[in-house]
Amino acid sequence: MVERFHVKLDDMKEEVLKMGFLAEEMLEKSVIALKDQDPELAEEIISKKEKIAALDFNIEKDVLRLVPLYQPMAKDMRTIACILKMITYLTRIGRYGKDIAKVVPELIQEAPLCKLVNIPYMAEIVGSMIHDALKAFETEDLTLIADFDERDDKVDALRYSIFRECISYMTENPRNITQCAHYIMIARYLERCADHACKIAEKIHYMVTGEHIEIG
Amino acid sequence: MDMNMGANMNNQTVIRTQDINLWYGTTHALTDITMEIQKNKVTALIGPSGCGKSTLIRVFDRMNDIINGCRIEGKVFFNGKNIYDPDIDVIEIRKKIGMIFQKPNPFPMSVYDNVAYGPRIHNVTKRAHLEEIVKKSLKLSALWNEVEDRLGQSALGLSGGQQQRLCIARALAVEPEVILMDEPTSALDPIATAKIEDLITDLKKQYTVVIVTHNMQQAARISDYTGFMYLGKLIEFGKTVQVFERPEQELTENYITGRFG
Repeated sequence: MVERFHVKLDDMKEEVLKMGFLAEEMLEKSVIALKDQDPELAEEIISKKEKIAALDFNIEKDVLRLVPLYQPMAKDMRTIACILKMITYLTRIGRYGKDIAKVVPELIQEAPLCKLVNIPYMAEIVGSMIHDALKAFETEDLTLIADFDERDDKVDALRYSIFRECISYMTENPRNITQCAHYIMIARYLERCADHACKIAEKIHYMVTGEHIEIG
Repeated sequence: MDMNMGANMNNQTVIRTQDINLWYGTTHALTDITMEIQKNKVTALIGPSGCGKSTLIRVFDRMNDIINGCRIEGKVFFNGKNIYDPDIDVIEIRKKIGMIFQKPNPFPMSVYDNVAYGPRIHNVTKRAHLEEIVKKSLKLSALWNEVEDRLGQSALGLSGGQQQRLCIARALAVEPEVILMDEPTSALDPIATAKIEDLITDLKKQYTVVIVTHNMQQAARISDYTGFMYLGKLIEFGKTVQVFERPEQELTENYITGRFG
């Protein structure tokens, strides 16, 4: 019976990774769609919203079935707790990707104000955090998440610099307000995704060591 | 030095074992067990079959004395006094440290007489006093409401769960300080088990409870401290929350996650 539980737990971890890589892909591609002004790619991302919601729903359902059936303890319990929190964070990340993709058609109607250098760079750091968090979940190698505090600080600084830059553009010309408002929101979404990656890292740390830590 | 250890025991420690080794003939059943049982707490002993948890609990009230070929070394301090000292009154120890067994074992007599049995052999003879003790013990064991109108009937007519609570009442009637329970719910259905678990939680307000259980969830639910035993050794001992959430020893982790045992 317990052997069956561990098989199910391994299957569930696979599903979480699948969901994680989908969330990562949605966020990464949304920024590519923004940069390349590609509405078709944006549409493709928006269409994945249901898929990530279904994964969230099904994994949660499986967890809630396994807990009373097997009453896991120690690391098994910590893994289950980690999964239950992770899927919520991953859903949010995927949905932020969708939110970014949604503004692409609006933004391509006007020539870009700037080269968007900071947003793709920010997305690159956030993407690496999500990727490393998922790898750490898979391998239990905590060195992958050891520098999340620093990476999160960098993302926060980038968000602030984008915010300041956009304020300048908006002050210069009110016509820039729509575009800039979108940029500020996108930077905010990316910053939230980094926060979610930090929360995931905290849960993985708990899963592996049993200790609660705070990142970011 | 040993006596000092006894005298210096923390006020909250009721039982302290020191380097207990026990043999059944040539079988070394317990190896170097040193642990403390805290007052008004529930301490659970878990571990796979044959790991020595029942043997250890029987050490606490010298129940192993009656087993042929059993030899014990080390000390067990109860309220600072080594219960294996030659001048110890074993009957008095077993009065202060009661035991509940796996299978309910009421005497073949009335409900009332079961509970009154202990006080009677300890020379309580006045009827009013006996009645008071019986009522108090049955109330403490959460059985009074179910048996108050059939105290004169045979205890063997009670259900399994009621019989087990009767055995607890019988143990309480002689006013023990510690109650040892050796898998007290393994012969009971889930509802009777839940009642005993609730009762254990209530009892710890007045008594100290040590419970042997093979049901880890039960240990996690009702105990404050948990000891994990394996092959006669105490592998890990600590707060229940820590042992079940974040065990320190790999053996404990493997056992409680069902990877062996």
